[in-house]
Amino acid sequence: MLIKLEDIRRYYTVGTEVVHALNGISFQVSKGEFVAIIGQSGSGKSTLMNVLGCLDTPTSGRYWLNGKDVSHMSDNELADIRNREIGFIFQTFQLLPRETALGNVELPLIYRGLGARERRERARAALDQVGLSNRVTHRPNELSGGQRQRVAIARALVTEPSLLLADEPTGNLDSATGQEIIGLFEQLHRAGHTLCLVTHEPTLAARCPRAIRISDGVIVNDGPGPEVALDGRAERARAAAT
Amino acid sequence: MSLRVDLLEGGRIALRTLGANRLRTLLTLTAVGIGVATLLAILGIIQGLNLAFSRQLASLGTATLNVARHPWVVAGDWWRYRNRKEITLAQMQALALQSRLASAVVPELNEASKDLTAGDQSVSQVDVIGTLADFQKIWGYEVPQGRFLTDADSDAEQRVVVLGSEVAEQLFPGRSAVGGTVRLENRPWRVIGVLAKKGQLLGQSMDLVVLVPFKTFLQVYGKRELQIDVAVDDPHLLDRAEDEVTGILRRVRSVQPGQPDDFSINRTQQLADTYQQLTSALYGVAIGVGLITLLVGGIGIMNIMLVSVRERTREIGLRRALGARRRTVVVQFLLEASLVSAVGGAIGTAVGLGLAKLVSAVTSLAAAVQPLTVMGGVAFAALVGLIFGIWPAARAAQLDPVEALRHE
Repeated sequence: MLIKLEDIRRYYTVGTEVVHALNGISFQVSKGEFVAIIGQSGSGKSTLMNVLGCLDTPTSGRYWLNGKDVSHMSDNELADIRNREIGFIFQTFQLLPRETALGNVELPLIYRGLGARERRERARAALDQVGLSNRVTHRPNELSGGQRQRVAIARALVTEPSLLLADEPTGNLDSATGQEIIGLFEQLHRAGHTLCLVTHEPTLAARCPRAIRISDGVIVNDGPGPEVALDGRAERARAAAT
Repeated sequence: MSLRVDLLEGGRIALRTLGANRLRTLLTLTAVGIGVATLLAILGIIQGLNLAFSRQLASLGTATLNVARHPWVVAGDWWRYRNRKEITLAQMQALALQSRLASAVVPELNEASKDLTAGDQSVSQVDVIGTLADFQKIWGYEVPQGRFLTDADSDAEQRVVVLGSEVAEQLFPGRSAVGGTVRLENRPWRVIGVLAKKGQLLGQSMDLVVLVPFKTFLQVYGKRELQIDVAVDDPHLLDRAEDEVTGILRRVRSVQPGQPDDFSINRTQQLADTYQQLTSALYGVAIGVGLITLLVGGIGIMNIMLVSVRERTREIGLRRALGARRRTVVVQFLLEASLVSAVGGAIGTAVGLGLAKLVSAVTSLAAAVQPLTVMGGVAFAALVGLIFGIWPAARAAQLDPVEALRHE
């Protein structure tokens, strides 16, 4: 089992009010799965992604990632876990504008303490994997949106993480480019990678073998992607009727 | 990740960031540079002054005691010295007989602010000293032209004179003074020698002086206040010699036990102390000004670093998400701050040295900067950057990765 969440709760205090962002979430993800986490804005899916990505720790509950209990780790330990276990893909790409594609992909390897030559070799291989071997020395502003997201995916892949975590990866792309990126995800899935995709778009979730729907900080549905994606429409219709 | 990697990577990022914001970097390092330049120019001038002073002091001889009614430097109640008994020739002779540590004892009579003429030339504000042959040895005078006074000149009450270099230059411009005649107190005096140049001490020329035989002085000026100069062979024996001289003089001047000395024993060290007193307050103010300038530069760095942290919040969030520890972020920003500051310091050092050189070229102040000061300037600037970088760096490290990634 790659991910095991057990009654994860995350509460925030905003002013005097306590916000229950996650209200007892439990699920498991096996190695090699491709899972969408779908929900409306404010459903708690972003908080869940932060917890899954070890950027945030739960108020209570336990989280095992690749066999390690990461729910109560120190700041430094979490930094190392993020570096080794997780590859982040962000909606806004989060590339460093002054670095080349190669420099951006090398970045996580610096924090792993690898030497310059090994970093470069691995970064080239990762860019090759996403089909950008001819854009190695380009800076982000010389690349299209789709190419930027491919650089970001290469950066996520370069550390050979156990989990690829994508947050609305097509949100800033036109639909054709979005389709390309989803195609790349499916390709990575077939190659054996575990992917977790956080989105609010049912069409995206429908393409995943499995989807988990979050609402008000709890799981309301967990099943095959197309099914769960449609279920949201029914839910919205119900909400509109009442 | 090791600290070494933190430092290497932090340095690389710092260089890249500074290169990317050239104008901002330039302005920031100018601020630090001005601070370091000010501080260094001041230090250079101070070191130059100190060096010049200690050279001049050394030229006076360090193994000499001067016995007089007054201390050289009168601090506070000057009237206390007015009623002291004169120092007499008999006391000097007793000192010469009884002291075992003194290698030479010589009397000294002084008249200040006298005018001398030679033909059409004249010079004023000259100190006239009446003394004997040993005076040369005691105060380390060199006589490149002619000869010094002899005791025989004194016994015969010869009207001969040895001129200080400045007096000779003014009275006999462009020619040798030896063998010439000068007029002092409406009498003609034959010049037998000219002293080597001694320079200034505490802003006063030591070359506006003429030396005449002791007894001739007595005959011309009558009885005047006597001083006794005592030479000791070994400077280390100076303290013991001072005790001995004090004992002998208390006895011959009949000072009762329990009473304070009714004479003063002067040493060149006292001049050094006075110099210290006169200048330390000045130095304090000057260094304070330099430090304040540097403080302003430091605050400039802090300001720039805070802006930089804010601008790069998302970058910090990203680096943290990719596995950078807090320490890595701290090191990165501290390096950036100290690097810009050190570069400013290096430029400031060059400018400061230039200023010091300029000051010594234009004014009579001799500026000297020791190599250690130069290294200190750069290191100190880097330290300023480090200190003023701490707060911005800490703020960068305290950022929550989730919040930072979301920052617009």
